[in-house]
Amino acid sequence: MKKIFLTAVSIFMVTTFVIGQELTGDEIIQKVNDTLNMDTSHTTSKMTIVTTSGSERTFTMETWSKNKGEKNLVRYLAPSRVKGQAVLMLNNADDIWMFFPRTQRVRKLATHAKKQKMQGSDFSYEDMGSGDAFVEDYEAKRLEDESKEGHDCYKLELKRKEGSDISYSRLIIWVIKDNFVPVSIDYYDDKDPSRLEKQLVQSDIRVIDDIPVAMKAVMFNKNDNTQTEMEYLEVKFNMDLADSLFTERALKK
Amino acid sequence: MTRKIFGIVVLIFCLSPLKAQDNIDLFGYYEAQYLGAKVKSSYYQLFTNKLRLDLKGQAADNITFAANVNFLTYHGRKNWDVLEFLTNDILSTIPEAMRALYVISFEDDIVLDNAYVKFRFKPFDLTVGKQQVSLGTGYVWNPTDIFNIKDPLDPTYEQPGHNALRADVPLGDASTATVLYSPEENWRYSTKLFQFKGRISHFDYHLIGVVRDWVFTDFTEFHPESMSFEATREKRRMLGASTAGELLGLGVWAEYAHNWMEMSDDFYELVAGVDYTFDFQTYVMVEYYRNTLGKSDYRDYNLNDWMRFYASEQKAISRDQIYVMAQHPATDLLSVGLIGITSLSDNSVALVPTLLYSLSANVEVYAYLNLNFGSEGTAFSKSQGNGALIRLRVYF
Repeated sequence: MKKIFLTAVSIFMVTTFVIGQELTGDEIIQKVNDTLNMDTSHTTSKMTIVTTSGSERTFTMETWSKNKGEKNLVRYLAPSRVKGQAVLMLNNADDIWMFFPRTQRVRKLATHAKKQKMQGSDFSYEDMGSGDAFVEDYEAKRLEDESKEGHDCYKLELKRKEGSDISYSRLIIWVIKDNFVPVSIDYYDDKDPSRLEKQLVQSDIRVIDDIPVAMKAVMFNKNDNTQTEMEYLEVKFNMDLADSLFTERALKK
Repeated sequence: MTRKIFGIVVLIFCLSPLKAQDNIDLFGYYEAQYLGAKVKSSYYQLFTNKLRLDLKGQAADNITFAANVNFLTYHGRKNWDVLEFLTNDILSTIPEAMRALYVISFEDDIVLDNAYVKFRFKPFDLTVGKQQVSLGTGYVWNPTDIFNIKDPLDPTYEQPGHNALRADVPLGDASTATVLYSPEENWRYSTKLFQFKGRISHFDYHLIGVVRDWVFTDFTEFHPESMSFEATREKRRMLGASTAGELLGLGVWAEYAHNWMEMSDDFYELVAGVDYTFDFQTYVMVEYYRNTLGKSDYRDYNLNDWMRFYASEQKAISRDQIYVMAQHPATDLLSVGLIGITSLSDNSVALVPTLLYSLSANVEVYAYLNLNFGSEGTAFSKSQGNGALIRLRVYF
């Protein structure tokens, strides 16, 4: 019995090792994409900006997502200045609407708006993830594995595809081998692929509804010397979300 | 004045317990504003204090109510004589006895700006009461918005509420039909609006029809018995369309409205705009506006044109104008910008450098200079002087 068990464990380990060795960059980034984009999700998160003056600005927001990130609705809960503002992104953020409660106006934004900073933070709307951008907008190449932030990681280089209007020329991603969570991402300048623009470090990885989630992410802006921390306060996956939640009617609620 | 302050204190006192209730939200802002202007050889300044108190609550799962009250006090130069901004040619047409009539006054006020209840039924939303009505896709000018006129120097400032009964009927995920009735003293004088909103590919579009009573004032005819200028009330029928989307990576929008007037000349308005955000975070926008109520030759501008423009009866005095804006986040707390408004009809230009500084999460300062460069008698003539505005806003 013990022999059979040991044999099974050995086969599993060898298989895992072999699969790990054989995974291509494209396969790894696809698994990252699948890990990050659940069928549906509902999160409450806190964004803390450390400003150039050293003070902190905190925003809280509620986010609903459907169809593996194809549909997103973000609503600000605090502070008072932005409370009620909401952003609806459909078709992997190819269609964006923003609602301003003080004027009761909904504005359709072009995709270039994704380049704008979220409330002056170091995250742009594009950084917040637009569905399958890693897969659709970049070519993945696997580099030599490395240890990063205490995790055994796959290291990938993602180069922007021809014709993509994404803001970064390339990314370097360290993906934890055990769970395919990207623990760190280096973002390189749009024009100069050797110039590091931002660095994202993820931590506090927990398993929620059988899905590994980095509860904390810090974006370091290398140009401005500022940083923004994003922390999940509440996370739920794979619940029923009606399509009517991702409409202009719901945006103005 | 003491009564007004007492009123504010009593209202805040009464609203405080509401804040403690889970289903009532009490919020708003305090705004202190300085407006300065140098006109010819005189300096003027107007200080404004505004307290906006908002109340929003959930009466039931599908019923929300919302209201806001604005408290306003003005200090400094509270009466602005429009004639000081006009040319001698126009002044010479005004009888001496009437010259004291062209004054815009700022009076302390308490206004119930919005107060409405919204029912969310499965097939439609119904909003009853005084509510903001925002129409059109234009940033500075909205030809299809028959309710509001934006200030080109401050186009994102909130608009006042309008008394109306409004139903929004969703027709699928991307389409909505809206009917709105804004009652006046009888059915004939009341405003009726129908709008259909749809989507084709990455473009939203709106088709809109409105019937509204419209008043054009003749500022050359004054009736002492009623102490008012002669006003002509007529039916205005408007059909319009607007769209917003993306073309070749640029944000684009357009808006058109044709107006059939019962007595005055028919006119149309047209807006077309484009915007883009560069990778270095600079945002640029250009918007063109044509209004055939405006005149194409500035030598034809008369007293009525200027007064109707100042009284917000028409959106622009000249026929064609273009608005150009560039904004850049200079730091994470400071955003700087430059706006240029050009009247293509008379080749006059106003330049408006702006800045927005975030003092803390809920405190911001907005400021701009308004510099006019046009020749005498044009829409943005030097003789209208230069101005500055500083606004401090504290949200709670």
